Amino acid sequence: MLIGIGSDLQVKPGKSRSAWIGFALAALAVMVSWVIQSSYYLHIANLIGIYSLIVIGLNLLSGYTGQVSMGHAGFFAIGSYVSALLTMKLQIPFWLSIGAAALVASFSGMVIGIPAMKLSGPYLVMATVGFGEIIRLVLVNWTPVTRGAAGLTGIPLPSFLGIQVTSERDFFYLIYALVLVGTIAALRLSRSKVGRTFVAIREDELAAEAMGVPVNSYKVVAFVVSAAYAGIAGALYGSFAGVASPDNFTFEDSVGFLSMSVIGGNRTIYGALLGSFVLTVLSEALRVFQTYRLIIYGIILILTVIFVPQGLSGLARQGFVVFYRRKTRAASTKASLKEVKNR
Amino acid sequence: MQYFLNGLPIGAIYALVALGYSLIYASAGVLNWSQGDMVMLGAYIGYLLYRLLGINFVVSLGVSMVAVALIGMLVERSVLRPLRKRQAPAINMVIATLGVAIISRNIALVIWGPDAQAFPSPVGSSSVQMGSLSIIPQDILIVSVGLAVMLFLQYFLGYTREGKALRAVAQDRAAAILMGVDVKNSDALAFAVSSMMGAAAGILIAPVFFVTFNMGSGIGLKGFVAAVVGGLGNIPGAIAGGFFLGLTESMAGGKISSGYRDVIAFVLLILVLWLKPSGLFSRRIHQKV
Repeated sequence: MLIGIGSDLQVKPGKSRSAWIGFALAALAVMVSWVIQSSYYLHIANLIGIYSLIVIGLNLLSGYTGQVSMGHAGFFAIGSYVSALLTMKLQIPFWLSIGAAALVASFSGMVIGIPAMKLSGPYLVMATVGFGEIIRLVLVNWTPVTRGAAGLTGIPLPSFLGIQVTSERDFFYLIYALVLVGTIAALRLSRSKVGRTFVAIREDELAAEAMGVPVNSYKVVAFVVSAAYAGIAGALYGSFAGVASPDNFTFEDSVGFLSMSVIGGNRTIYGALLGSFVLTVLSEALRVFQTYRLIIYGIILILTVIFVPQGLSGLARQGFVVFYRRKTRAASTKASLKEVKNR
Repeated sequence: MQYFLNGLPIGAIYALVALGYSLIYASAGVLNWSQGDMVMLGAYIGYLLYRLLGINFVVSLGVSMVAVALIGMLVERSVLRPLRKRQAPAINMVIATLGVAIISRNIALVIWGPDAQAFPSPVGSSSVQMGSLSIIPQDILIVSVGLAVMLFLQYFLGYTREGKALRAVAQDRAAAILMGVDVKNSDALAFAVSSMMGAAAGILIAPVFFVTFNMGSGIGLKGFVAAVVGGLGNIPGAIAGGFFLGLTESMAGGKISSGYRDVIAFVLLILVLWLKPSGLFSRRIHQKV
């Protein structure tokens, strides 16, 4: 019934497509890990992986469901602290602490999702900004548990299925395994009934409601899923960086995630990977400009949102559509010419 | 009572910044996240004129307001107008204005360095005792200049040709275009006036806090909160929201806990939004299909 509402819906689901993308991504990751020798580049690659997990969640929330969040650093922080505290204080195994991080983050996603059901536009932005700030301020002030502004240090390295993760390369495999799972899960979700409902809500909330979609519950679901992604990313980040301090989870970080989402193109899942890659690499590459780095970064940000409004994946899709149409048109003219000849 | 008095000046500052958000949102339909950095730029230009060049305070205030108004117009012209022309999604405008914030913050960092600069109060720093209450002269200056700027805005919106045009655009953009209002002009004007009020807030707050390159982040966020509480786009609402936030903060900080002061403010705001999604001080608008 909802076919034709959004451009996404006209793409045939194609069962093998997510498998293909997953396979391609895995192959790419393995190749990259062979090619990269310097641990600095591996470090950057790992950061990109962690960010792309958050941005995938953000895309499901903002790109698919149309609910903007400028407080995702809050969920990221919750994941980080929950996992770090569990592994440090209770010696809980890493894989369990990741699960706990995802669980607590999704619960907080539900808590913020409930007031957010009634809000839209700037009011929703305000609520999510407020949420992010509340989390950060609690981390700063709840000294007995979070150790305040100094943060948690000495978060142990994770061990996974009996394998101890020690080097950047080990982290690379761990992080990208989770990115792979996260990407495939998000692709499956986006093509499922739930994903289509998300898009229906984005396109026209009232129409969706009139069609009998329980809009409010689906919005909360979107918040929960999105928060779970950020929570998992947070758990990874804590053990990867070894520290978790409130300075890593500021409003500026939330803004950074949102920029990755928009620059990559928030209406696709792979746009999240693209956005986190491009902005992380850009911000590292601009280090040669030292104090002028962020000025140039800001200018590039502005130029991109002006000239590539749908993000990089939108640009890629447009290019693909143009190419595909030309190809099919050429094929059909050929076919009809043949038909004429045969007559 | 002391907390009430302490809350008034910071409330006036929030109100000035909130007015900037509301005015731009009402007329141009954009959330301008560089509003806080206009406050910072205003403070720095004031610092340059008043402290480094030793120019009279009132003149410094005026020059800084005009200079930042020009910067605001430049932002509208170079960033918002191309976006509008391409009918970019609202979120792109948000990112673009955040980009402006990043740029201006770092330009300030390059020019003035990372250290906080002291800005001496033009009216002295010794507090005046009135019974059991102590009053700081700078606070009186903040509230009175703040109120003067707000009155000026009321006059501008109510009684001048340009101000009336601005209100018309805020009410119905399409109808205003049809009536021959130059919308591009009014957008630029909204940015200019908003930036001007931000600059005033910056110079007024500078003696209380120090002048730093990232001072705009916190003030900008609080100003946005105040604007939303008052109902975005609602001019009296923004003023009420600013004072409401300033007083709440001061009371919560004094009576409950200073560390959790902002947490209390934000929790309260989310509750307010939950119970009254369109802001405390605005009438309910029904959605039509």
